[in-house]
Amino acid sequence: MRTPTKITLAALTLAVLAGCSSTGPEQPAAPTEDKKPATPSTGGATGAPVTQPQVGAKQMTPEEALLAQLKDPNSPLSKRIVYFDYDSYAIKDSYAPIISAHAKFLIANPKFRMLIQGNTDERGSREYNLALGQKRAEAVKRALMLLGVNEAQIESVSLGEEKPRMMGTDEASYAENRRSEILYSGEY
Amino acid sequence: MIKFFRLMTAVLGLVATAAHAQLTVEITGAGANRIPVAIANFAGEGLLPQALTGVVRADLERSGLFKMIDPGPAQVPENAAIDLNQWKDRGADALALASILPVPGGRYEVRMRLYDIARQNKPDGMIFVFAPATMRETGHRIADFIYEKMTGEKGVFSTRIAYVSKSAGRFELKVDDADGQNPRTALRSTEPIISPAWSPDGSRLAYVSFQAKKPIIYVHSLATGAQTVVANFKGSNSAPAWAPDGKRLAIVLTKDGSSQIYTINVDGSGLNRVVSSSAIDTEPQFSPDGQFIYFTSDRGGSPQIYRVPAGGGNPERVTFEGSYNVTPRLSPDGKSLAYVTRNGGRFQIASMDLASRQVQILTDSSRDESPSFAPNGRMIIYASEIGGRGVLSAVSADGRVRQKLSGQAGGDVREPAWGPFNQP
Amino acid sequence: MQARNGVAAALAALFLIAAPARAALFDDDIARQRIEDLRADTKARIDALTQKLEQSQRMQGDLGNQIESLRGEIAKLRGQVEVLTYELEAATKRQKDFYLDLDNRLRVLETQPAKPAAAAEPAVDPAAEPRDYEAALNLLKGGKYPEAQVAFENFIKAWPKSNFQPAAHYWAASAAFQTKAYSRAAELYQQLYAQWPADVRAPEALIGLANTQQVQGDAKGAKKTLETVVAQYPGTSSADTARQRLKQMASKK
Repeated sequence: MRTPTKITLAALTLAVLAGCSSTGPEQPAAPTEDKKPATPSTGGATGAPVTQPQVGAKQMTPEEALLAQLKDPNSPLSKRIVYFDYDSYAIKDSYAPIISAHAKFLIANPKFRMLIQGNTDERGSREYNLALGQKRAEAVKRALMLLGVNEAQIESVSLGEEKPRMMGTDEASYAENRRSEILYSGEY
Repeated sequence: MIKFFRLMTAVLGLVATAAHAQLTVEITGAGANRIPVAIANFAGEGLLPQALTGVVRADLERSGLFKMIDPGPAQVPENAAIDLNQWKDRGADALALASILPVPGGRYEVRMRLYDIARQNKPDGMIFVFAPATMRETGHRIADFIYEKMTGEKGVFSTRIAYVSKSAGRFELKVDDADGQNPRTALRSTEPIISPAWSPDGSRLAYVSFQAKKPIIYVHSLATGAQTVVANFKGSNSAPAWAPDGKRLAIVLTKDGSSQIYTINVDGSGLNRVVSSSAIDTEPQFSPDGQFIYFTSDRGGSPQIYRVPAGGGNPERVTFEGSYNVTPRLSPDGKSLAYVTRNGGRFQIASMDLASRQVQILTDSSRDESPSFAPNGRMIIYASEIGGRGVLSAVSADGRVRQKLSGQAGGDVREPAWGPFNQP
Repeated sequence: MQARNGVAAALAALFLIAAPARAALFDDDIARQRIEDLRADTKARIDALTQKLEQSQRMQGDLGNQIESLRGEIAKLRGQVEVLTYELEAATKRQKDFYLDLDNRLRVLETQPAKPAAAAEPAVDPAAEPRDYEAALNLLKGGKYPEAQVAFENFIKAWPKSNFQPAAHYWAASAAFQTKAYSRAAELYQQLYAQWPADVRAPEALIGLANTQQVQGDAKGAKKTLETVVAQYPGTSSADTARQRLKQMASKK
């Protein structure tokens, strides 16, 4: 059932390196604006709070350019969803270009952070689905790290079966819900 | 009174429909040999705001183990001289008589006598003093008494059930009496709440809330309403399960990548990893003796149930049939294991006798989840789906008795957890 | 990208250092040529490094994929080993149970010729009596009538004081009847009735006796025996059976 992540990494690596050298110098490194504060650290918890980019001054122009790039429907960066097979957390080959594009972007923009949310369809145990969603998010994170992205830039979380995109109980809806979603700083 | 009684017989099997019901309990399948019991109308019942006899009858009836014999309209005091043969001829194996008397302080005393006609045992009796506010509770305790005398096992009519309701995007963690009455809301949230788990003494509920945009484990005190965080580590915090001593919890954290099982003190200290693997390990559950932690893992390529000594050690696989077996729940006597199995594309509740490894599928629906044993081990409550709506159902451990617990119209109910006996 | 920036800085520095000395020491052309050479050399080095980095990253990616793939394979294999181990254990246990059962049966058969020797010194094993009885009963249940008859007859001799005596007589007779040893069956049924008339099996023994009499052509004797059942054991199911049989016999005439 579980096929390995068969991304054609050779091609990916080349693409990433090419992208790296071309975008290198004009990197603006503008501070990002957070719409929401960092995860509220509920009192008494022993956990380390998740670090988020600092709220900074409003030099919006280069920032806006980057965000526009992320949303441009012609750019592979606007593709933010990786779909999975039932009960599987293996990334399919067809997602290689999308993952490579996001890796390039993160390497070129080290101040940008990414949140990967893993999701499942509603069948089966909620807790098992929460764990499965975590694996799906982790799979995308690992693929990005193998392409040279700094781990500190990526956070992976699971929403299990709690946040479906489609409410139906047919295979089409289930397939739509078995996914990892990619969000950038300012989008979560 | 006569009118009331007619009503009672008319809704036989469709009980607990009073105005304050959160869940409506309906029997959809009964045991093969139900014990015929006659419960005469309690003498002096007119003193009470609501008929106590009805509560007792409804409880026993709903268990699926009793059949109510029509006792006639008369109120019979507990010390009345009666002709047992006459009751035997009516088909009653047992007869309960009771009187209600006012006692100082606006309270009442109920005296009950139970005649075991079939086994010709000496009559048993009990006396309760109660305030009008605890009338239903008293009725449940009388029903528990009759249940225990007639079946030899403790009744669960005085216990409570926690569950999560969802309507219009709002989530509520609720606690009802076992008959679906007296609903209380422990927590409201706009984000999902999952995996409620009762502390062994029934005073607290552990649960997982997504309120902070990611799963965090809290403990809620039912008496004070106070919520405290047990685990808020990087990543997900989920699947809390109490140790039998009520001091520690088994939990699942993803702080190091994939889901792994830990134990932690209720105050959040003393984190200890139980098993480690590169696969998914989740849904821990202590065995009643505290010796083992049962859990779900896909370390063997498909989700299966394993167990490991609670202090750590080598995991041992428990389920072998099928390619999807999750959510292990031990019976209170530790002898059987209820879990969710995928059976030809349908998700159903199964039960395994741990000694013989015999497996029995208990349900025949297709979207069954979250089994939870009643504290006497007789019934298993679980989440199911009817017409796209989340409902709660219950099935007896032998698969014979079935109940449906419907929530209020328009809402989903899910994630049931049956509370323990000894509740404050 | 870091390396590239570094190299650019180095080049700039080199250029600055070289500039003032240019006129004094070198021709412009020579200087330019040298810088060109240096640049080409540096570029070659960077290209080589980039290539190496590419290669190692590609290798790393491949390794990552292989590890994921292996992990999945190992999980599957682990699952198969778990299932196979479980099935093997179950099969081993079942085989052992079969063996024990077979061994028990064989022991009964093998001890059969040694019967006279056994009479000499009866072993005082308290568990032996019910075990022998059970073994004989199992033979009967298994349809091994000749062996069952022998086993019960042995039991009757070996355990004269046993509480199982009436039952052993009854089953020995039943086994004998099945092997068509009617006289012996009749004898055993009669012994049971004579010695333990109050035993629950006594009326059934008489029914059995009537059966043997009937198959041996003694209708009169059978009738008499059935009448005894009706008279002596009223209210029993055996009496009902006897009454029915008598009715049948009457209608046949």
